[in-house]
Amino acid sequence: MKLRIWFLKLVSLGTYIFLWAPVLVIIVFSFSANKYGIKWEGFTWKWYAALFENETVRDACLRSLVIALITVLVATPLGTLTAYGLYKLRFKGKEFLRTSILLPIVMPEVVTGAALLVFFIKLMPFQLGYPTIIIAHIVFSTPLAVFVILGRMQRIDWSWEEASMDLGASRFNTFRRVIGPLLMPGIAGAAALIFPWSFDDFVITYFVAGIGDTTLPIYVFSQLRHGASPVVNVIGTLFTVITIVGLLGAKLMEKRRMTTDI
Amino acid sequence: MEKTADMQLERGIQPDAIQSGFHSQITTYLGPIIIIQVLFVLLPLFFILAYSFFKSGPYGNLIFEFTLDNYRSILDTGYAMVFFKSMYYALQTNLMCILLSYPLAYYIARYGGRHKAFLLFMIVIPSWTAYIIRLYALKTILGSNGLINNFILDLGLIELPIRFLYTPWAVSIGLVYTWLPFMVLPLYASLEGLDPSLWEAATDLGSAPFRRFVRITLPLTRGGLLAGTILVFIPSLGDWLVPYLLGGSKFMMAGTLVAHKFTTAGDIPGGSCLAAALAFILLILLFLVIKFGGREALEQAL
Repeated sequence: MKLRIWFLKLVSLGTYIFLWAPVLVIIVFSFSANKYGIKWEGFTWKWYAALFENETVRDACLRSLVIALITVLVATPLGTLTAYGLYKLRFKGKEFLRTSILLPIVMPEVVTGAALLVFFIKLMPFQLGYPTIIIAHIVFSTPLAVFVILGRMQRIDWSWEEASMDLGASRFNTFRRVIGPLLMPGIAGAAALIFPWSFDDFVITYFVAGIGDTTLPIYVFSQLRHGASPVVNVIGTLFTVITIVGLLGAKLMEKRRMTTDI
Repeated sequence: MEKTADMQLERGIQPDAIQSGFHSQITTYLGPIIIIQVLFVLLPLFFILAYSFFKSGPYGNLIFEFTLDNYRSILDTGYAMVFFKSMYYALQTNLMCILLSYPLAYYIARYGGRHKAFLLFMIVIPSWTAYIIRLYALKTILGSNGLINNFILDLGLIELPIRFLYTPWAVSIGLVYTWLPFMVLPLYASLEGLDPSLWEAATDLGSAPFRRFVRITLPLTRGGLLAGTILVFIPSLGDWLVPYLLGGSKFMMAGTLVAHKFTTAGDIPGGSCLAAALAFILLILLFLVIKFGGREALEQAL
């Protein structure tokens, strides 16, 4: 019995180290004075300063932020609407719709990217660039919102809706005043998750980006053939921080549920 | 009167929903997503399929004449081998991920106690951190002047750096490293859903730990295993950056080929065959998962 727990502990610990060591290494080396980014030569902030002076990086960063923000603003309400419909209505073809919504998440990214690329260049009047990137991000982010909010819907008390509507409130007002607030943690959590999900994406974005519009992950990709560099270490740290903040935000929303639930 | 009420119940909507029109409700709530799904998910996939089965003209325009030539030329150029090699790597990755994730998920679910949330969070973060950054990080560790080599060179154990990077080993490690969290999470979800009294009952009835695991735990977590397999096997089969960045320029896998065909070579029909094959394998697996009750574990893992 004891032996078994030790075995489980050992494997778990090893797995955590395996998952975290590389990320921790680049965070640590983003503060190293060594200009090849791989040896420790004393603490410095200068690569962080260099990052903000580098115009290409600044532009790419700004572009990624704008894309992620628009994606959050579109995909979150859309996901809420969809989740509400999927939860409330029963109809033929619902299972099919649900599975199809799952597709952009489970499909290999190269397939989604390739399919969208062909579609955009052969069938749509768009130039590759901002609009195609944003459409692609909305396509693969909305499903995330749908399933996060659906999960929340399964846990709230729907008799409040009935009560509100029995008392004469319209469906819209009921949603605005009763169900919406009850779902808020799920909706905000979805938004907090979509942000890093969109900000971090490389593969699909690379397919549909065309030539001009470099996002931050694409910039990192262009730097990779030069091997390690302190600036990429800094960008990597930035990505990790954004992800942690987004996930912590989603977690906190989840916690708040406990206090708002009646 | 009663009959209509029953029908309404069957459809799972409230009476007032009927009044405002069932179809108009579907349009309001689900119209936008249906448009997006049809226009930007199903139609593009359909086009990939069409490109793989139809002739294409000199400027990449479709000529509506059915042909299997695209597939034939893919087979002739030895890309079938690449595909099988990818299947092998994806299978290997999947097995390694199960071997590492099962003990971990089991440990968190049963012995995590009040640290459960934290332990899970530490799995979720890597799975959400930009994949290109994590690969870059792995590369700095494995490289010939990377951390591991520097360390053993400094110790004086070796004279020259060992080549980790650009070997099949690096690809295997990279695939497991990238996709591991996506096996842990659904497995955890299905282990967490297990009723602990089942174990107690089995133990009380004299079942040995190993037997208990094989007869009870394993079958009950089938959904989680299948969901994890979708989230690990499929993306590693179609992975582009791991083989590209860690395997070197000559190391080809299915995902690398698709990316190469579309972004560099501009060979839409050839790339479409490979992409269609990948999508096909995914659909089979997805069907199996839904059939064997893994849908919930899959949707929860998100």
